[in-house]
Parts: sequence; C-alpha cells; structure tokens
Amino acid sequence: MEKHLHRRKQRKKRIIAMIILIIAVAASTFELATFLPTIGELNTPANSYISEYYIENAVEDTHSYNIVTAVLADYRGFDTLFETCVMFLSGITAMMVLSTKDKVSKSIEKKSDDVNIFESDIMDNAFRIIIPIIMIYGIYVLAHGEISLGGGFQAGALLASAYLLDKIIPGFRTVLDRITEEFALVVAGVGSFIYLSTGLLPMFNGGNFLEYGKLPFGSKSIETVGYLHSTGILLIEVGVTICVAGVIIAILEVVLERTSFDE
Amino acid sequence: MSNFLNHLPVLVIIFPLAATLLCPLLGHFSRDFSKRAVIFGLFLSMVCAFIQLIQVIKNGEPIHYFIGGWMPPIGIEFVIDGLNGLIIVLVSTISWMTSLFSSPFELLERGNELRSVGYYTILCFLAVGLLGMSSTGDAFNLYVFMEITALSGYGLIAIGEEKGPIAAFRYLMTGTIGASMYLLGVGFLYALTGTLNMADLAVRLADSHDSPLIIASIACLIIGFGIKMALFPLHGWQPAAHSYAHPAADPMIAGIMIKIPAYAMLRFFFCIFDKSSPIIETFFTAISIMAICGILYGSLKALRYDTYNKILAFSSIGQVGYIAMGFAIGNFYGLIGAVLHIVSHAFMKVGLFYTSAALKYKYDIHKISELGQVYRKMPVTSLTMVVCALSMVGLPPFAGFFSKWYLALGAIEKGQYIFVAVLIVSSLLGVIYFFRIFENMFMGEFNAIGTDNPVKGKFEVPWQLIIPMCMVIVAIVALGLFNSFIINKVLKVTVLEVFLG
Repeated sequence: MEKHLHRRKQRKKRIIAMIILIIAVAASTFELATFLPTIGELNTPANSYISEYYIENAVEDTHSYNIVTAVLADYRGFDTLFETCVMFLSGITAMMVLSTKDKVSKSIEKKSDDVNIFESDIMDNAFRIIIPIIMIYGIYVLAHGEISLGGGFQAGALLASAYLLDKIIPGFRTVLDRITEEFALVVAGVGSFIYLSTGLLPMFNGGNFLEYGKLPFGSKSIETVGYLHSTGILLIEVGVTICVAGVIIAILEVVLERTSFDE
Repeated sequence: MSNFLNHLPVLVIIFPLAATLLCPLLGHFSRDFSKRAVIFGLFLSMVCAFIQLIQVIKNGEPIHYFIGGWMPPIGIEFVIDGLNGLIIVLVSTISWMTSLFSSPFELLERGNELRSVGYYTILCFLAVGLLGMSSTGDAFNLYVFMEITALSGYGLIAIGEEKGPIAAFRYLMTGTIGASMYLLGVGFLYALTGTLNMADLAVRLADSHDSPLIIASIACLIIGFGIKMALFPLHGWQPAAHSYAHPAADPMIAGIMIKIPAYAMLRFFFCIFDKSSPIIETFFTAISIMAICGILYGSLKALRYDTYNKILAFSSIGQVGYIAMGFAIGNFYGLIGAVLHIVSHAFMKVGLFYTSAALKYKYDIHKISELGQVYRKMPVTSLTMVVCALSMVGLPPFAGFFSKWYLALGAIEKGQYIFVAVLIVSSLLGVIYFFRIFENMFMGEFNAIGTDNPVKGKFEVPWQLIIPMCMVIVAIVALGLFNSFIINKVLKVTVLEVFLG
C-alpha cells in the first residue's frame, strides 16, 4: 500500500516537472519566434544569399527544372548520398536487431499459404491489375523527378509498395515471391553503390567527386555540361530508387518472417 | 599520381564506404569476402589518411576539396588542416584495428551468416560516419554524418549483450534529442546568415554576435554535442550503452564515438563563433562547471562498480570532462591539452576495452572480482591493461601524462587553479579505481579460470586480438615520447591560426 502511494507521489512529481518543462520551452520558443525571420519575406539572409544563387542559376547549371532536385541531387548531392546510406543502414540494423528472434517455422507458413483468407477472386484480380500500374507510376515518378515533383525516394517507396501488395494478399503469391531479406539488402547495397560509382566516374575524367559535368559521356563542349548534369542526376536517382525499394522490402520481409498470421 | 593525391580527402571516406555497401553482395558468395573487404577498405583509408596528414604538414596550409566541383558556400567542401588531419588518422587507425579485432568474435557466431555480414557493414558505417564528421567543413553535412554515426552506434549496441536492446533504445531516444538540438542550432544559424559552410558562417556572423538567435543556437549546440559526447549531466545513455554493446565493437563505440562530437564542438566554438564576445565567455563558464562536475562525478561513480565495463564507462565521463575543460580554458595550452587528450584518451580507452573484450572472449569475465591472477594466462592482455591504466592515471612516459600536463599549464596560465585541483583529485581517484583492478588481476585469488581454456592456439588469444593490443601499447608510448613533435609540427600552426587567430 505504501509502495503504491509512493509511486503515485512520484508520478505526480513527474507530471508537475513535465508541465514546468513544457511551459518553459513554450515560453522560450515564443520569445525566440519574434527574432526569427518571417516566412516568405524576401530580405532575410536565408532568402537572399545562397538561395538566390540557386534560384537564378540552377536551371542553367543542371538542366533540372525542379530546383529542389537540383539542390538535393547536385549542389548538395553528397548529403543525399549519405541520406541514401542512412536508408541502407537502417535496413541492415533492423535486420540485425530482429535476426535474434526465431523465424516462424515453415510448416505454419505453408498452411496459411494454401488457404486464401479473403476467399475473393475479385480482389485478387483487382490487385493483378493495380500492381503493374503502380510499378509504371513508380518509374514515371523516378524519371520525372527532374522536372516536377518526385525523385528516387518516392519512386523506391512506390516500387516497394507494389511488392508489399503482392505479399500481403494471400493467394496471390506468384510473381515476386522469391525475394528474401538477404537478397533485398544486397539489392539495396548495390543501389547505393550505383550512386557512389556515379560520383566516382568523374574522378577518372579529371573532375572532383560527384562532379557530374565531368562524367565521361559525350563531348566536352560547354553546351553539353548541363545535359551531363541531368544525366548524373538521373543515374543517382536510379541508385536511390533501387536502394529505397530494397530496404523497404527487406524490413517488410524481416518483420513478416517473424510474425505468424494464425491468430 | 598527382590526380590520386588531389582526391585524398574524399578517398579516405570512399574506400570504406564502397566496402560497406558491397558487403552484403560479397557476403552472398562467402562471408569471409565481406570481412576482408571491410578490413581492406579501412586499411586503404588509413593509408590515405596518413598520406593526407603528411601533405598537410608539408604544405603548411589546409587542403580544401570541393565536392561536385561547386565552390562553397554553394556546395559542400572538405577542409583538412593539421588538427583534423590528425583526428582522421586517429579514427581510421582505430577503425582498422577494431575491424581486425572483430574477426575472431564473428567466428563465435558461425551459423548465422546474416549477423556476421551485417556486423561488418554496421561497423564500417560507424567508421565512415566518424571520418566524415571529422573531415567536413559544412554544418549540415556534419549532421548527416552524425546521423550515420548514431544509427550504426544504435545497431552495434542493440546486437550486444542481453541488455543491449534496452541500452540501445535509451541511447536512441537521447541521441535523437541530441541530433535534433544540433539541427535546431544550425537552423538558427541559417536563419541569421543564409549559409551552411562553416568558414562562411564565421564571416557572416562576425557582426551579429549578440543576437538572441545566436544565444539560442549556442545553447542548442551545447546540448546537442553534450549528449553526443556524454558530457555531464547529459551522460544518461552512456554507461549502459558502453557496457552492453557488442564486445568487439565496444572499443570503437567507447573510444572514438564520444570524441568526434567533442572535436566538432571545438570546431564550432573556436572557428564559427566570436570567442571574445561576452556571451561565449558565459557559455564557456557553463561548460567548465559541467566539466568539473563531470570529472568528479565520473571518477567517484567509477569507484563503486564491480563490472569492468561500467568502471571504464564512468571513467569516460570524467575523461570527456577533461576535454571540455580544455575548451573552457581556451588558451593555447588548454586547446593543445584538449586535442592531445582526445587522441591519447581514444587510444587508452580503446586499449582498455580491447582487454575487456579479450577477457570476455577467453574466459567470459565481466567482473573485476573474477579476474584472479589472470595475468599468468594472458600476459599481453594484462600488459595492455597496465599500460593503458597507467596512462589514464597520468604517469610520465605515457601519453596521458602529457595531455594532463598541458591542461594544467593552460589552467595555470589563465589563473584558474580550481581546474588544477580537480585534475589532481580525479587523477588520484583514477589511481584508486585502476589499482582495484590491478589488485584483483595480480594479487586476487587464483580461481577456477586456470582449468578452463576454451581457446586453442599458439597465443593466449587469436593473433587478430594480439596485434591491435600491441599497436595500442606502441601508440600510447609513442604519443608520450613524441608529443612535442606532434605539437610543433602538426597542431601548433592550426591551433594558433585557425582557432586562436
């Protein structure tokens, strides 16, 4: 009884401390907000220094009409390389942490394989139509990232979601059933490696790391530099797509293999 | 050849990165391929790091490498000067040693190929993250590398011993707060200046050093770096994380993962902000209080534990306090002491955790009360432990003495005698807790370990464990004997021009 009381007292203390903390943080945030520049104002340093350069020169420099893509994949492509690596690393880590848990034995999985839980041919057929469309849309998002919204990360997620649909609908395990988590991670690693080797190619051609303008394709006249940049952006987006799709599939597989759907 | 030399700063990172990305693919064919790829990649990176440092010393000026060919502040640049050239050599050497050190441990996990391949991938990513953090000259790029370091740290802690996942979860929560705080701080700086390049930040901040945004930014950065380097009172995650991490990766986690944020903090405070402004002075006072409390707290806490790793972890809290104290002193000797302590403590802690891992490998010893005259069976391990411990305490021929000596010189020059007192008290406390270990090791009851010997082979432990331990001994003695060379040739120019200029 006394222990219980003690615990309640402690909880009360914690709540009071939390309230004080929230008030303090909120107060200081409001105080700070008055010094921060207004969103969208033109004369602030954040909007008038580098951003101005990007807005004025991105299209000419990179032939990428989406400035966000230009900054992400070209001006700060090195950051994106490591963001891709973060994806890959998270896949590996998830696999390592979960790999200590035992896999669900095959016999149970087989039993659930035979039984179609939904018992619905219409649903199966519907997904048969939807999945190719999703995949085509994924490729479209990948290729179109340069001009409009989109890019490697979203495309990878779309491609993986096609696989996910295929996997979570029992009775429709025909096309892509054979991807294991190991294989998915190999694919993810190779995807990031495509990104890395796109960066390495210019180094053999007299450029710096990730300097797309020095990619060894085409002639070296000034007009082609922009095209080379957009080629480089497309290449790295392909790498990102493969990596992201691989990682999502790997995490899905790791979790699915250790969950039984019998309940 | 000259082409190769131009790319050195980025090659240091590319070799291990390529190895780790291809690790699962190579592991698909044979597990040994992935292991060898990682060890080879880290070895190449170490060679590049050494050549790079020699070049920096020869040229006498920093190397700038513009990634993507974009000039800063538009693009990202790597800046290598004497100081971070030295840190990169330190990180790459220790990473290579640790990758070699890990190979017998993954033999214990035979049958689970996934884990061995994954372990090497994550270990190599940790090295990549740390190398990137120490080379970059861009504040946001530093965040990306910090993220890579932290994620691989979470992974290596979670796959460790039984309590590993809990320790990793706690670190995940605290570490995420730290990273967000850092990002928030950089965000404030970006709002003020519109740039992310560190050198450019320094130029554009010059006329606005008392803006409230800067105060908020410095506070956020101190919390961010403080959490990452386990500075008291932000150290909550550290003891559990360092005790329960994967034994083979523990040296790297405990040795250098908390040092590189300290280096980054040095870079921020002395390169970007105006040191002479009163606000920075106030913050330095706060850091010095944190440092003093941390030194005393860590040394006192280390006294009460019986678990070997816990003692080492709490001693790390104290040692990180020394580094922070060097920043707070802020004059030439103080900074030299702090940098030397980053290097020498990295080697000492790595050595001590090597011995801890070797003890776990051979006899599964976790507690110092189980050590009982283990020196008869494991002479090299015991020698490493003695050298590292004496260096930690601060006996003259070893590296630890000189870093403490410079810290004390700096404190005296600035007239802050309380630092000297704290330094002496904590060294004496260090004597107590390390001699407790020695007592058990050399004079304890000779217990059952003499009969049970699970490892066969010529040496006490496999040669992959012996070589890194010998390298640590050599490094500690060499750092002690040649410290004036390192200061005069490598650090002096950088510290005087870049940090105090």
